Amino acid sequence: MNADAKPRTPPKPNVYVNTAPFWEAAQQRRLVIQYCRDAGKFQHYPRPVSIFTGRRNLEWREVSGRGVIYAHTVIRILGPGLEGRLPLPAATVELDEGVRFIANIVETDPARIAIGARVAVAWDPITDDFVYPAFKVVEG
Amino acid sequence: MSTGDIVIAGYSETPVVFRSGRSAYDFAGEALAALIESTGIDKDIVDGMSVTVPLSEASNPFFAVYMADALGISPTWLNYGGIGGCSATGGVARAMSAIRDGYCEVALVLSADAPSTSWRANYGAFRGEFQDPVGVQGPPAMFGLLMNRYAYQYDLKEEALAKIATVQREHALLNDNALEKFKKPMTKEDYLSSRVVADPLRMLDSVMFCDGANAFLVMTQARANQLGLKKTVRPAAYAELTNVNGNQSCPDITETGFARIAPKVFAKAGLKPSDISMFQPYDDFTIAVLMQFEDFGFCKRGEGSDFILANDISYQGNIPLNTGGGQISAGQPGLASGGLNLAEAVRQLFGEGGKRQVRAPKNALVTGIGVIPYGRNWGTSAAMILEA
Repeated sequence: MNADAKPRTPPKPNVYVNTAPFWEAAQQRRLVIQYCRDAGKFQHYPRPVSIFTGRRNLEWREVSGRGVIYAHTVIRILGPGLEGRLPLPAATVELDEGVRFIANIVETDPARIAIGARVAVAWDPITDDFVYPAFKVVEG
Repeated sequence: MSTGDIVIAGYSETPVVFRSGRSAYDFAGEALAALIESTGIDKDIVDGMSVTVPLSEASNPFFAVYMADALGISPTWLNYGGIGGCSATGGVARAMSAIRDGYCEVALVLSADAPSTSWRANYGAFRGEFQDPVGVQGPPAMFGLLMNRYAYQYDLKEEALAKIATVQREHALLNDNALEKFKKPMTKEDYLSSRVVADPLRMLDSVMFCDGANAFLVMTQARANQLGLKKTVRPAAYAELTNVNGNQSCPDITETGFARIAPKVFAKAGLKPSDISMFQPYDDFTIAVLMQFEDFGFCKRGEGSDFILANDISYQGNIPLNTGGGQISAGQPGLASGGLNLAEAVRQLFGEGGKRQVRAPKNALVTGIGVIPYGRNWGTSAAMILEA
């Protein structure tokens, strides 16, 4: 963070589907992901139906928050809300439960960010009373 | 070519301009007027229209109807294409179906956009919650992730990407419609020292949003003959796929929709990769071009870098690539982008390539890419083979 950083705004839940359970759990530092009871599989981002069956037999299930980096980049160009946050590490993380998450990598030496590196969920305090899910590299 | 075949019997393209201060309507008008000028047709024979959803007017759900009104056209078939860079080839394919079904006889496939002047798109959906706060807001970050994964699974040589960028720039220097800013030579060193925007993606791997328009006339060969239109090209095959691997949570993101549709277009046209006279792939980023060489079977998966380095991809070469400079070096006219690669293919097959004319081309492979989704490969892949 530097002096250009602007206060970040917590995302508004329930804009396109009911995501309040995700954000409520997040504030308790628990990662919950949409789970299709019929297929026995997770999906993310949250959808209006199961991407496996087209049905709505979905629930929120807490996951370990552990996985590996599937792909990573460092964002070096400005976009809305990115003032003061560059360079910004971002990754596609594959959770052990078999679902992918696009997230920032925080609390990590950039040299340790690599495909296959083990990660755990970290909670990025974007305001005084709101945390946003991110990941940090951890020992295997 | 039988008279019952459906053909593209005219095309036009405006110069690509950055921050023109003009609207998609105005560019569309310029494209239509140029098309009428070059074909000599009476505007009122146009009874079908396919319009591309532009970023600059996306807030108007009736843009296609407004466009018909603005241009004084009364179509009996109107399509509004929202598959981004696939909307031009997709529009031609849909117009062909409409003509076959008798909904119209002469279709205008029109793409115009001016996002460098006015951006009125809001993708909404999940983005405000799950994507934008992470900073993965646009194509560069998503393509940075894709390139990073590709380089992990396969051999990615930056010299190959540099060659795509520099050869396309040489082509743009020969294209009067190319963006003025890009009309200066680019060396391999320029490419390699270009700023990294989303590791490992460089500025010179990327397109720049500009303003512009293009238009195509679709009709039967018989109608073209009747109208005295001597130059026609026949779309011999078309295929598209949206949301490849859409029912999986962890697909291989280096697997594109093109790998699925390539066999279809080659089979339909009765051709193989070595029969292709020129390749005009959608080029939002150099890595997309490299991956398409693989997906269309010019080489095997993972061998794109070596293939590019070993072959002559200039307009005089054995597999001419984006002979007008592509979007990367001619400029990307917003979502009218797919029409830029298509216009160049038609121009070349009409023998109007000027200083960059490909020698006696028999056909062209043109593609489109639309939308960069969450943690997946690109959203829509479309491919069309045109025959002279």
